[in-house]
Amino acid sequence: MTTRTRYFVFGSLLVLGVGVAAGLVAYSLGYSTIARSSAGGPPELQYVPRDAAIVAYADVQDVMGSDLRRRLKAALPSSENGQEEFQARTGINVETDIDRVVAVLARSSGSLEPHDGMVVASGRFDNTRIESLMREHGAQVEEYRNKRVLVSADAMHRRIEPDGRTPPAADRANRTFALAFLEPGIIAVGSSTLVRHAVDLDAGGDNITTNDQVMALVRALDNGNNAWALGHFEALRPEARLPDDIVRQLPAIDLFSVSAHIDGGVYGTLRAETRDDEAASNLRDVVRGLLALGRLQAGSNPEVQAMMQSLELGGSGRTVALSFSVPAELFDLMGDYARRRHSPGAPAR
Amino acid sequence: MMEGRTAPTVAASALRVFDLSLGQMLWSRRSVFLAILLGAPVLMAVAIRVLGARLGPIEVNGRAVNGAAVFGLMIWLLYIRFIVPVLGVFYGTSLIADEIDDKTITYLFTRPIRRSAVLLGKYLAYLASTVLLVLPSVMLVFFLVVPTGEGSLGAAFPSLLADFGMLTAGLIAYGAVFAFVGARLKRPLVAGLVFAFGWEPAALLLPGYLKRLTVAYYLQALVAHERPQDSPIGMLLQVFREVPPVGTSLISLALIVGLALWAASRAVEGREYVLEQ
Repeated sequence: MTTRTRYFVFGSLLVLGVGVAAGLVAYSLGYSTIARSSAGGPPELQYVPRDAAIVAYADVQDVMGSDLRRRLKAALPSSENGQEEFQARTGINVETDIDRVVAVLARSSGSLEPHDGMVVASGRFDNTRIESLMREHGAQVEEYRNKRVLVSADAMHRRIEPDGRTPPAADRANRTFALAFLEPGIIAVGSSTLVRHAVDLDAGGDNITTNDQVMALVRALDNGNNAWALGHFEALRPEARLPDDIVRQLPAIDLFSVSAHIDGGVYGTLRAETRDDEAASNLRDVVRGLLALGRLQAGSNPEVQAMMQSLELGGSGRTVALSFSVPAELFDLMGDYARRRHSPGAPAR
Repeated sequence: MMEGRTAPTVAASALRVFDLSLGQMLWSRRSVFLAILLGAPVLMAVAIRVLGARLGPIEVNGRAVNGAAVFGLMIWLLYIRFIVPVLGVFYGTSLIADEIDDKTITYLFTRPIRRSAVLLGKYLAYLASTVLLVLPSVMLVFFLVVPTGEGSLGAAFPSLLADFGMLTAGLIAYGAVFAFVGARLKRPLVAGLVFAFGWEPAALLLPGYLKRLTVAYYLQALVAHERPQDSPIGMLLQVFREVPPVGTSLISLALIVGLALWAASRAVEGREYVLEQ
């Protein structure tokens, strides 16, 4: 090899090496910073409808890498089945492929009940593999506003309503499951209605970032937490299936939110925005009573006592806040309890 | 004295031919063509960056296009559909044909080495020279284009690594196929161009199994970017799109490479090259 050929080879490898190193630095350091949108909160909120009933966010890498997750995995190994099924159907490994997710429950038109769900995930996706796997499972490919959307009727058709009946045929037709490739590294999975709406929002339109009340809350929740959720309390009532008497006694709550930092344990805050100051005061009284009852019931277990002691009621005006700290040891106890339920002969820790 | 010496192995001979051929390929007249071919996307990327800084991001139908999407488009239109097949055709077909045209093949074939080692060494030199030129060109385009339109280098970086793998696979496969064409046919360049720009796009358009007889069918399954719908043909391709799984594509490409190199070696070993006076 001549000298100039050698120089060429080294020069070319140098360009590649420097480029790959710079790319790796950008990937590992800059990604999380760049990912935050100027409106506050994760950029995937641009695909969420303005009138979404419930919105939730999780920094998947942070949560999956947490000490708490490791403990839970060791305590409840059977909980991985859902992940494996999802990977088999879509080719997406939740632990390694996804960086963060935004989940949405949207109201069906004319109803206060959340009906359609969608998850917008960002990370590293092998589009070709996902597509071929979903096609193997019967999904159809369609073009919608220049985006590839994979629609599968299977997942939703298997859904059973809470009262045990299957949804009517017309309803089933509207509830197909879809996956859309929104941008490189961003996919939307869920109800086909919402997924198509996410594609619409990609082209412009009113998304949740134009809702000032919600975005103010998002900015507060997003500060230092790796998981949060917020929504309209009305949307929760049908899912909670509370007795009518209790529902009537509950003060008028407008928005609710929960934010958490998941690491060795879970440290977070539950927050409710009531319609007026009087409703907030009533809610504080209710919570105070429940806290007193809970502390009485805590028993002799030091972990449960510590958790109950960590509960702190706060908030002012229309806001009622309850901060909590759940130690990792409490999850160990729960895992122990679950193991004993599944195998009664197993020794208790 | 010479009776005690054994003939070098095919691998050792191929490496020696590779060493000699790499310099010849890089500093030949064809290098000017190569520089233009690979410099053009970089110049386009510079223009996109400069215009993006002055006039704002590129807009399509009134919407700003993300830099990563522009990069994906360039990978599809420039590298996959044009540069990789062109490099395969021009370099692959010339591995043996150039030596015949220059009437220097006799010098190579009279050496005490297998003829297939000559082909293999030249093929490796083609691969090294094209990979070492194409990948830095893609790297420069990536860093110039992706940050425009609020694109994120970090978010798009994994797809760049996938592109590197896919482009290398394309150069390996096309190079092997056209090495066979060059070793077997008398007018390899014409046949290569017809295959790359006639047969392959046409077969991809036709419904049925014919597309499986192309390299592009398997190669395009490895592309991480959205396929552009830049023309009526592009839209038709979208309609008839049938994407094989990645594993199937990789195995198929490996089979194509193995078969093509084996057939090319057989052709070189068995063919009598008559030099025109």
